[in-house]
Amino acid sequence: MTAINDRRQLAYAAAQATDARVNIELEAEGMTLNIGPQHPATHGTLRIIVRLDGEQVIEADPVMGYMHRGYEKLTEVRTYPQVTTLINRIDWVSSFANEVPFILAAEKLMEVEAPPRAQWIRTILFELGRIANVSMFLGDMGVQLGAVTPMFYALRDREFILNQIEAATGGRFHPNFDRIGGLKDDLPAGWIEDTRLALDKMEYFCQQVEDLVIGNEIFEQRTRGIGIIPADVGLSYGLSGANIRASGVDWDLRRDNPVGLAWDQVDWRVWTHPDGDSFARYWVRLQEVRESCHIVRQLLDGLPSGPIMAKVPRVVKVPEGEAYVACENPLGQMGYYLVSQGGLTPFRVKVRTASFSNMSITPWLLKGTYVADVITILASLYFILGDLDR
Amino acid sequence: MAKLVPGLVKGLGVTFKEITKTVTKGAETVQYPHVKEDPAPRARGVIALHEDNCTSCMLCARECPDWCIYIEGHKTLAPPRREGGKPRTVNKLDRFDIDYGLCMYCGICVEVCPFEALFWSPEYEYSEPKIADLLHDKSRLGQWMETVPEFESYEQGSEVKVKKVPR
Repeated sequence: MTAINDRRQLAYAAAQATDARVNIELEAEGMTLNIGPQHPATHGTLRIIVRLDGEQVIEADPVMGYMHRGYEKLTEVRTYPQVTTLINRIDWVSSFANEVPFILAAEKLMEVEAPPRAQWIRTILFELGRIANVSMFLGDMGVQLGAVTPMFYALRDREFILNQIEAATGGRFHPNFDRIGGLKDDLPAGWIEDTRLALDKMEYFCQQVEDLVIGNEIFEQRTRGIGIIPADVGLSYGLSGANIRASGVDWDLRRDNPVGLAWDQVDWRVWTHPDGDSFARYWVRLQEVRESCHIVRQLLDGLPSGPIMAKVPRVVKVPEGEAYVACENPLGQMGYYLVSQGGLTPFRVKVRTASFSNMSITPWLLKGTYVADVITILASLYFILGDLDR
Repeated sequence: MAKLVPGLVKGLGVTFKEITKTVTKGAETVQYPHVKEDPAPRARGVIALHEDNCTSCMLCARECPDWCIYIEGHKTLAPPRREGGKPRTVNKLDRFDIDYGLCMYCGICVEVCPFEALFWSPEYEYSEPKIADLLHDKSRLGQWMETVPEFESYEQGSEVKVKKVPR
């Protein structure tokens, strides 16, 4: 597996070296190109300063922080129930996945454990959030390469999942459903049946994407062997989630560290791909959506009965101490380092978001690539700009 | 070039199948102004106020993360419940405004209300050309009360009691 990786990379590097030599002979002068801050390829604002030599990138420098909203500081002046509404908005495409690690960190400090039914519902909503988020990527990647159709299919089929999230929590994008010690409410009657139907549609969408995008030769030519991240480089830059799994590293916090959630109760597998190129990242994410559908189906079948809330005082005060809980967000590892001094509000919250680390590899990754591939590589890394800038 | 064909044909097959599905069975899109969307009963659309239950305790205003609820009230004397008794002191609500220009739709106010005076309604058509008109006063918030749906029953295995909406 690594042999294929090395061979591809050597071929890629050799092609780039030839081009560079041509450029030196022509004495081409470098040019600075600003990609962003506003660019259709980014659903937010991100600026990348690219130094070009002809068609080749010599140097790429991402400028982040245009959407910095100061969440870490804001949480210090909000009580614990209010914080969950704020952190919903960090990664706006899969908000429920943002709430869970924070609530788990607070629960760890309070030494409260949510009842099993609450844990299972949390896992179901977490995975539904992942499906909604990653299906967005599956459509969006097509748009970056000029194929608009997958985006429409993605938006259409994601809507069924969002409807299910809305029916359970009341919010399409900002559920604010998690509470310390359990959940706000139980599932409404008929929800499980409706969710199964929505999952059917999502699995059909995955098949469509496979026929439409994965099998397409133009897509393969634009992504195969482009933007290769070797496993050791990826690890040293702190990549996580599907980006590192696409480089062949078998690492998934859902399996390795199932913190108080129900992933260890069901049967599923972690998908990896040995290549580490843009195509591999797309392929791994497609399999992950399928796997998530598989997980949710099993969880719906075996949902335990019982209460959804543990005994927690009405005014939540978290005892003194510090805790770090990380979960496998749709984008990668997302963790909250929570320091409490026993008051109504957290003393300090450090948010470790996946997009920030995933983005930090871009100077290394974009060096030597062609301008046309820059957008493809950025899209395949998949970052949500709210998650990047916090 | 010939290498590019099979995948393209396969992709065109997918889109063609979708086109026939849309033409024969109709699109999934809701044709909004003509057809209204039907949100889930739990959807957080607008907050309704049941004024009789409100004691102007200010809990919702204090718990609101962006402080978009404005409450004023005063104490008055109400006639005694039994004849010959003392007159009761009750809280009379003068002002209850929610600024939907600021509201984050988190639902904390509805949740913390100890007297069941606030409810979520899935109604969504209240956009205004002027942002100042998004401040709903207590009569407007009271009108939303008609649109509040009954609480749904729960999925099997639940131990939560179904609440009732006061009318």
